[in-house]
Amino acid sequence: MNVLWCVFTGPRYWGELVRMMDVLARRCLIPVGLAVAPVGAVISLQGVEAFREFGAEGMLSPMLGTSVFRQYSPMLASVMVAAQAGSSISARIGTMKVRGQIDALAVMSVDPVRYVVVPGLIACIVVTPLLNVITTILGLASGWLFAVPIGGINHGIFMANLFAEITPMDLWVGLGKCMVFGGAVGIIAGYLGLRTTGGAEGVGRAANNTVVATILLITLADYALGLLLLALQI
Amino acid sequence: MFKRGWEALETLADFLQFVRRAARVQFLRVPPRAQFLEQAVQSGVGSMGLVTVLILFGAMGLTVQGFTSFQRVGGQSVLGAFVGIGGVRELYPVLTGVIVGARVGANFAASLANRQISEQVEALEVMGIDPFHYLVAPRLWALTLTLPLLCAYAIFVGLAASYFAAVHQLGMNSGNFLNQLSQFVGFSDLAAGVLKGVVFGWLVAVIACFFGYRSRKRDGAEGVGIATNKAIVISSVTCIVVNMFISAIMYT
Repeated sequence: MNVLWCVFTGPRYWGELVRMMDVLARRCLIPVGLAVAPVGAVISLQGVEAFREFGAEGMLSPMLGTSVFRQYSPMLASVMVAAQAGSSISARIGTMKVRGQIDALAVMSVDPVRYVVVPGLIACIVVTPLLNVITTILGLASGWLFAVPIGGINHGIFMANLFAEITPMDLWVGLGKCMVFGGAVGIIAGYLGLRTTGGAEGVGRAANNTVVATILLITLADYALGLLLLALQI
Repeated sequence: MFKRGWEALETLADFLQFVRRAARVQFLRVPPRAQFLEQAVQSGVGSMGLVTVLILFGAMGLTVQGFTSFQRVGGQSVLGAFVGIGGVRELYPVLTGVIVGARVGANFAASLANRQISEQVEALEVMGIDPFHYLVAPRLWALTLTLPLLCAYAIFVGLAASYFAAVHQLGMNSGNFLNQLSQFVGFSDLAAGVLKGVVFGWLVAVIACFFGYRSRKRDGAEGVGIATNKAIVISSVTCIVVNMFISAIMYT
């Protein structure tokens, strides 16, 4: 709650925020891309076989598109952001805490929540959707690669069905999910990082717990959002 | 850019040397029993609750999401096939590998890094005990043997959860769903899941041990954080990429 209050009120540390965003975007790009691209490939790989049995190969690309746009890309992008950014944020905050730097900040009357937690949180919320855009494109591209040249599906049919079924809503759903998940990453990393106790071992434990808790929360939130969207028929 | 690429190559070379040494110790000598049992119980039984919750919601999410996608093109009836193929063959083993990598792998990395920076590894060497035999091999065996079991368990939990979601939440016909499922998913898929579990388990363990073992005393508390972070990221990316190759080999 305190964190939320701090997000919307000053003083803000813009330099810290920009630095965090820069670090996060650069560090997460490669893992996130590597995680999502194979998924598009696997969907195509399995989908080509399965749909051929029904004689409905045209359905492959809408399925690939919707599942990459709405489900896999946001979810995997945020899981990888949790793994990379979440663990490094909480390890960093944990190290600062163990070394007494957090207390030093407080002594200098710099609120540690404002200085270390809030920039991490905002950076996660902003960077995750940006990464999601890139990963969605990558996922579709690798799906195309495995469906058209390797799976032998007609390029025109693939593209036509893909664009016929994808609506702008899919994009917004994916981006919205990413913001929610990114926020979860930032806030859990900050909370667990600040709670670190017990030396070097504690830092490892904080990083570890952050990732586990965030992945669980992402899956839970994903399920809840899926039900919500189904109920709203979006 | 060039320098970073060079560093990555050096890390890779270190990693391959580590793998050679670890594999030699792992397969040529019997690991110390007490350590192995402790690690196996911690990584296997300790992860079961986590895997249950994760797969439960992952599977229900997959089912609901699949239903929404198919509703649009009017193919709700293939939901069983979607869940069977997408879940059992791909999603559940990968999710299990990633979450176990995040929990157990990170734990391995953190504990080994912690031993390195507090010079316990040197102490072992001084006492004439091979740290690979005493610390690394039990961990490798523990995860290689428990992750396949967790994968099999995850497949059952996932199937039950997606059945529940499809039939009770989305109102699908139970017979139709089960019929489709059994048409696409058989014993061979379970075996494939278990095989993936073995591969993921060994890879996750060896990556985590490598990054933990590599940290040095001068890195301090930060080094533990970095080791944990790298172990988690690289092991989960490896699981996903390797999964693609295994699937490509097995199903085409």
